[in-house]
Amino acid sequence: MNRASKSLLCAAAGLSLLSAAGCASGEDTATADPAPAESPASSSAASAPASSPASSPAAAPDAAPDAAPDAAAGSGSYADGEYTGTGSYIPPSGTSEDVDVTLRLENGVVAELDVETSQKNPTSKQYQREFTSGVKEQVVGKSLDELDVDKVAGSSLTSQGFNRALDAIRSEATS
Amino acid sequence: MHTLGFEAIGTQWSLSTAEPLAPETRAAVAELVDGYDRTYSRFRSDSTVARMARAAGNWKLPASAAPLLTLFDALQRLTDGAVNPLVGRSLEVLGYDAGYSFQPSGPPLRAAGWKDTVSWTADAGGSVLTTAAPVTFDIGAAGKGQLVDLVSALLAEAGLREYVVDAGSDLRQAGGEPLRVALEHPYDTTRGIGVVTLSDRALCASAVNRRQWGDGLHHVLDARTGAPVDTVAATWVLAADAMTADGLATALFFAEPQALASEFEFDYVRMFSDGRADYSPAMAGVLFT
Repeated sequence: MNRASKSLLCAAAGLSLLSAAGCASGEDTATADPAPAESPASSSAASAPASSPASSPAAAPDAAPDAAPDAAAGSGSYADGEYTGTGSYIPPSGTSEDVDVTLRLENGVVAELDVETSQKNPTSKQYQREFTSGVKEQVVGKSLDELDVDKVAGSSLTSQGFNRALDAIRSEATS
Repeated sequence: MHTLGFEAIGTQWSLSTAEPLAPETRAAVAELVDGYDRTYSRFRSDSTVARMARAAGNWKLPASAAPLLTLFDALQRLTDGAVNPLVGRSLEVLGYDAGYSFQPSGPPLRAAGWKDTVSWTADAGGSVLTTAAPVTFDIGAAGKGQLVDLVSALLAEAGLREYVVDAGSDLRQAGGEPLRVALEHPYDTTRGIGVVTLSDRALCASAVNRRQWGDGLHHVLDARTGAPVDTVAATWVLAADAMTADGLATALFFAEPQALASEFEFDYVRMFSDGRADYSPAMAGVLFT
């Protein structure tokens, strides 16, 4: 039941770690707090180079002993210390959510990992924790003319045969 | 984008691709769609399904039948029998028959038990479905979704990386720009109740407003009673493939999402006939406020 939110979080964590590691390579920040000045440089996970050295540390929290040598071998080395970075992902709502990641490397191994989500969408907060259905008491319709969309998803259009038959029945009923 | 439109299996299709389709690819799509129709259509007298309605027996089905039947086995179980292809008989009785009579010939009919009536086996060459009695087999709950997947696979095999396969209520997108898709208001088709972003996934909708031919008569029936459902007005499901999304969109008329989430990965929006809606975590913010 928790699978959906877990996979969302995992995806977010994976993305932001790529970004964090990408921006942090060669840049050793020893501060504990996310440095605001760094955020713009790393705000787009998509543009961060998704190289293999960057992705290896992403596997580290679960498999630290194995992953660490790979990371070291692939990248030259990451200096021990605190790394921070910001990534983003786009949920189906289309509103980009930011993910701040702070991790601490000790002897080339991720010793601590902290992931903070922006939760710009007010309802995101609880959903990012558990698979509970959201409920809306009354849906609101907006005119399709006002919406900049490529497609409309609803009940499928019926065939000409269906429509002709239905028209025939209706005209019989009214004649 | 280049778009190819056609009518097939009872609805309007459009294929949008970055490159125009080669003539042989168009021909392959036509053949694929026609073959599916020849097997499963209950609106033509020469289909396998039409013969299944006349007598019990063993029916050879294409290899693609195995995943479809596996899905129906699961949905049947998870909805306590509400989703069952044998509901086709009640659709006919209520007037949604091969001749589009739209005249009910009797009260709703409870579908024959899925497990009691149907069994199937599969091997590399295809599937064999065994029916213990004449049945009206209606794969409407997931069949169109599967055909969207099969067409998508054909396009991918033809080397197309960017495409949108749109079969009306079932969409599958791959490559290129994400698609912005409005969720059509089931009671007012000029309006949307939200917008989702579709990228490398399928989005299937099920709603009761168009396939409707009389007072309270529409195509989403509870197989346990044979009667149209009236508590849910529309559902939308996002999943990796369209067959699953299509089947789950129907199942959400009858089952709680949590029950389905135990076996399937998907996101959903479900709108009830009283105007309420519920939705999965990742769909937060999709609906208009």
